[in-house]
Amino acid sequence: MVNYIIRRLVQAIPQLLIISVILFVLMQAFGDPLATLGARTPPRREDKERLRRQLGLDQPVYIQYLVWLVGNDWMKIDLDGDGVRETPGQRKGVLRGDWGTSLVTRTPVVDVIGERLPNTLLLMLPSEIIIIIVSLFVGMYSAIQQYSFFDNLVTGVSFVGYSMPIFLVALLFMYLFGVNFKRWGLPYLPTVGMFDPQAGRTPQQIVLHMILPLASLSVISIAAYSRYVRSSMLEVMSQDYIRTARAKGLREFLVVMRHALRNASLPFVTLVGLDLPFLLAGAVVTERIFAWPGMGRLFVDHTARSDYPVLMGILMLTAVAVIVFQILTDVTYSFLDPRIRIE
Amino acid sequence: MKKRLWLALSLFVIGALVLAACQPAATTEAPTPTQAQTSAAPQPTTPPKPTEAPPTSTPSKATVVVITFPQEPDNLNPLYTNMWFSTITHAFWLRGLWSIDDQGNAVPEIAAEIPTEANGGIADGGKTITIKLNPNAQWSDGTPITADDFVFTYQMTISPKNAVASAYPYKEQVESVEAKDEHTLVVKFKEPFAPWITTLFASTVATGALPPLPKHILEPVFEKDGTLDNAQWNHAPTVGVGPFVFKEWESGGHILLVRNDKWFGPAPKVDQIFIRIVPDDASQIAAIKAGDADIGTFLSFADAPAVESTGVAKAAFDLGGFQEGWFLNMDPKTAHPAMQDVRVRKAIALATDRFKITQDLLYGKTEPPATFWDSTSPFGDPSLKAYPYDPEQAKALLDEAGWKDTNGDGTRDKDGVELKLRYITTDRQLRKDVQAVVAQMWSKVGIGADLVNYSSDVFFNTFGSNGPLYTGESDIAEYSDGPAFPDPDVAYWLCSEIPSAENPEGTNGQHYCSNDLDALFAQQVTTADLEARKAIFAKIQKIMYDEVVYIGMWRDPDVWSINKRLTGVRFSGASPFWNVTDWTVSP
Repeated sequence: MVNYIIRRLVQAIPQLLIISVILFVLMQAFGDPLATLGARTPPRREDKERLRRQLGLDQPVYIQYLVWLVGNDWMKIDLDGDGVRETPGQRKGVLRGDWGTSLVTRTPVVDVIGERLPNTLLLMLPSEIIIIIVSLFVGMYSAIQQYSFFDNLVTGVSFVGYSMPIFLVALLFMYLFGVNFKRWGLPYLPTVGMFDPQAGRTPQQIVLHMILPLASLSVISIAAYSRYVRSSMLEVMSQDYIRTARAKGLREFLVVMRHALRNASLPFVTLVGLDLPFLLAGAVVTERIFAWPGMGRLFVDHTARSDYPVLMGILMLTAVAVIVFQILTDVTYSFLDPRIRIE
Repeated sequence: MKKRLWLALSLFVIGALVLAACQPAATTEAPTPTQAQTSAAPQPTTPPKPTEAPPTSTPSKATVVVITFPQEPDNLNPLYTNMWFSTITHAFWLRGLWSIDDQGNAVPEIAAEIPTEANGGIADGGKTITIKLNPNAQWSDGTPITADDFVFTYQMTISPKNAVASAYPYKEQVESVEAKDEHTLVVKFKEPFAPWITTLFASTVATGALPPLPKHILEPVFEKDGTLDNAQWNHAPTVGVGPFVFKEWESGGHILLVRNDKWFGPAPKVDQIFIRIVPDDASQIAAIKAGDADIGTFLSFADAPAVESTGVAKAAFDLGGFQEGWFLNMDPKTAHPAMQDVRVRKAIALATDRFKITQDLLYGKTEPPATFWDSTSPFGDPSLKAYPYDPEQAKALLDEAGWKDTNGDGTRDKDGVELKLRYITTDRQLRKDVQAVVAQMWSKVGIGADLVNYSSDVFFNTFGSNGPLYTGESDIAEYSDGPAFPDPDVAYWLCSEIPSAENPEGTNGQHYCSNDLDALFAQQVTTADLEARKAIFAKIQKIMYDEVVYIGMWRDPDVWSINKRLTGVRFSGASPFWNVTDWTVSP
């Protein structure tokens, strides 16, 4: 087991290197970070030329990648534009822990990502837990009471929920519970942000502001996952060993929870395992609509400005998370299903 | 095993919740002072202690004005940002020598008075500007503001060790910045520089308008790090000069500014400004309608009536120099051959009913301008009117130019080339709608349209990065732009700005080159006298109007929303929040 994990981790290193090269090259196809500088009018020509030189963007792609990877404090760069390289560089490179500076905010990439990560986890983890719990219960109940009123109702609502785009769900919730409930004099929920400035950044405020984004995030996934759980439960419930367990006189509750659910949850574990690394990436649309300062918005905003240091940071973080969670999922399989052995 | 998994997950969630709630909300200090409570109505049974001062009449809760921004500033240090959303916050916490009010007049801030020839402020034909500083001017930590702060700011802008966003005009146009004494600043230009009033250490949105930086805070940083690029002050500027002072900035979330007790101007009537970043347009409208936003920024025309209909807020428009316009490609190598003929260009203008477009798609809230400078008063030429809608005249001009429909396919042609023009713009929905309407209008006179949309970061790419604007991949490019508002200066039509492999950053994507126009542009930037400068611009506009270099689609004012509980707000295009000290919140 331990050998297996170590082997996978060692394999991950060249994997990550190749991923970083591919991502870096693809990123050059994005726009030019100096095209607008976020301003309403394009920057002046002499400023762009100077910035290109000062930020190291005039170097060929492979040099830029090398600097990103190992830094440039071992070489000299030309800061004042006279063609002579006189100043030693300041960057240490990713391999030494320096992820570079954002081209947009000029702060270290680690700080930029670190400021947003807790907010994203705050939203994504509870939503994932809600999705898992609710999908399991809804799916299981639907499977056990197949074709009952509850099952048909849930099926119908699932199809509707799954077909709705996330922004529609989010905006509907916001307008209904934020704007209209307030206008109708009913207790209402806040529209945007993490807290109300008049009340301050208290945990109660954050929880209150979390309700609508959590609901929007969960609705669509629950609709989908409950269907998966339902169909795999149905498949398992018709197996022979379930009949055996019932024949032995076990309570129905134990039959379902101990025997059926454990086997039915294998495909579900795969899905959740694939989902978990993307929790770090944040929910792009939901965060944008609810003005939640998270990783999804960070990625979109910095892509629009072609801020490749931050984008590389986020993407490599996601790549590492995917690799780690894939290993975890494989290991979890071997615990859940004794037939699967890890050599 | 499953139990352990659940346990671990729940611990993780609790940990994340605790982390997020406890984390200092931003880069500086601790919880906002909105929790500050004065005691409620005194208990009738407890006699007030005789040594205590009687409670003041301040409300138990601080008044907070909430402003929503659709884009987050990238940096609060004026050296490192060109973003309008960063520069407009300076009116709150980093004022300059003077602002421009809603009538276009300069209002002194740190300067004691506006330099004029009469008071000796302008000398040497406009090459030397002497500014007397207000002796009461002080930073928010009590340190007096002196001319040395301005000299320091100048040195930081031009230093090659700082990768500043723009060094204009301090690097090329300014010759020297000196402190004659503590409260007198002398700036010498190489040539008389007409835009000085809008840029020189001013509180406006013009590129180059640079408020002073606190030397006592930043000089030690520069000496220690060798650069200001990574200064903490850039993201947590706790020392500033303005009616408010910076308190905290939560990345992606909000910026909080609180009352500055050391402000030497009129005291603001509100206690705090809370700027919330709300990127989505629909969410911003929802927030405005729910009363969660006192001022909404950068709304679109379509939202103005929706916001007003709720009665919660009203819309305000103010001209910021921007106009939606068509930039016609006249490069013989890349443009359609028809574009070389001024009759065809005129026909294009006459065939497009821009009046109907503004009426139908923009709710009649704006109108087509005649020239590039119509929204930059007082430089627009009132004698020139927007090209009228005259499809018959358009057809006549096209016939005269030799473009006739010889093969009966509905589109004119000449020498085997179809008159199909490539019309590009960004992917905003409003622009796509305009393109569709325009294509229909053109088809009535026999002009074909090839409609293309790009995302804006690709659209504005330079020649060096194969941007369509500058590599000539268009016949007509539509976007919103203006001169160096509030100054009319612009470089887009200079021959020297034509982009090429040797000049990859050139901004003259239309490849328009006229020696007469070049001479006039060179002349206007050194003509400080307003009337003389207006006369030069009248000549510039006449040439460009006759040559149909630019076709104005509509004036693009900034659209704001103001909640009805907030009064006294007057927006100025050049310094939007200039009168924040007059804002009042009625409970």
